[in-house]
Amino acid sequence: MIPAADVLCYLAGSFFGAIGFGMLTRIPRRALLPSGIIAALVYLIYWLLPLAGVSEYLAVFCGCLLGSILGHICARRMRIINTVYLMSAIVPVVPGLGLYRMMASLGQEQMHQGASQGVQAMIIIAMTALGLIMGSYLDRIIHEKR
Amino acid sequence: MQGGKAGVSYPGDNTVSVQEMEALQLAAQLIMENGGETFRAEETVRRMGEGFGLQQVESFAVPSGLFISYRTEEGRLETSVRRVHHRSTNLTMVDSVNQISRETAAGKLSPKEALVRLRTVSDLQKKGTGLRMLPAAAICAGGFTFLFQGGWTEALLSMGIAALVQGTGMLLARIHDPGIASNIVGGLLTALLPALAAGWIPGLITEAVVAGALMPLVPGVAMTNAVQDTLRGDMVSGLSHGTSALMTACLIAGGALLAPPLIRLIQGGGL
Repeated sequence: MIPAADVLCYLAGSFFGAIGFGMLTRIPRRALLPSGIIAALVYLIYWLLPLAGVSEYLAVFCGCLLGSILGHICARRMRIINTVYLMSAIVPVVPGLGLYRMMASLGQEQMHQGASQGVQAMIIIAMTALGLIMGSYLDRIIHEKR
Repeated sequence: MQGGKAGVSYPGDNTVSVQEMEALQLAAQLIMENGGETFRAEETVRRMGEGFGLQQVESFAVPSGLFISYRTEEGRLETSVRRVHHRSTNLTMVDSVNQISRETAAGKLSPKEALVRLRTVSDLQKKGTGLRMLPAAAICAGGFTFLFQGGWTEALLSMGIAALVQGTGMLLARIHDPGIASNIVGGLLTALLPALAAGWIPGLITEAVVAGALMPLVPGVAMTNAVQDTLRGDMVSGLSHGTSALMTACLIAGGALLAPPLIRLIQGGGL
């Protein structure tokens, strides 16, 4: 059973995290709310799929793919540059904790542990890019057919 | 006067149709200076140029500069080079330029009108960001701390640290730091302060605080641009954005790695 409090906490965390990040990169004000929602959905996928037995890497890919597709749709509908939404799609799955753990391990000269944490973080980043690319690719195929 | 439709000429140079070229240059420059992708700058030049009725509009941009060339109505070939120096992130500005470009491409704006509107956008760039960035960094850090299993104590602490790091970065930007010192200091403060605070607050989840407070420093725009430019086949710009993201990450990590010896020093253990 998934505790509702956890879900709310994560949804709110990714929503506000992405909105704060959007404010830092100064995205247009009307884009703040949709980008927060996209980020929350991406994080929800990323968090829920592993609970259903899917690997974390695949979950990152699926989350980013969804975020990328939604981002392209929102960007076309609202006539806003798509960078804004693509960025908020990848921000919640940036492996901040993994990278920090890698740094901490390397700082304490635990090279093996640090390297394995680093490789894990790198795979997540690669999956993020892959999800983003697949979404953009789908968008181009669909859009160019019209 | 020989210039373009609304030709304004520089003294001693009566062959250049300045307004069209200036509008194209300014549009592309604004996009690249504010964190837009390179392909977007190139596409904007092409669309706006065609909207002005120019022929054979070509542009080539890399993140540090751009080349524009076109043929005027009289059949003259004109070319320009512009170097892009200052780099910051303001996606609202990129979006505004994009809006102007759309209207120009639809034939709604003359070169003069486009230039006037672009200059208005450019003037906004000179205004400072003000203190709005401090709460932005705090919101960002606080939100992500919850994702890293932190509670309210951790979130509040990382919000404070993120705002402090952002403030320090803005102070360093005033003395023309190109982002090097601010990232090192940011990484150092983010790793140092939670570790010190852990001595005062029992049971503090240090790594949640650090990872949360690091999030505002993540080069999100550079990462997105690297993917987008590479995807469009612009490998040079993709690599360039990717390198920029990697360098930011390395600087932050370097700063953070300075923290453990400093902590030992502060706690009286010697280096």
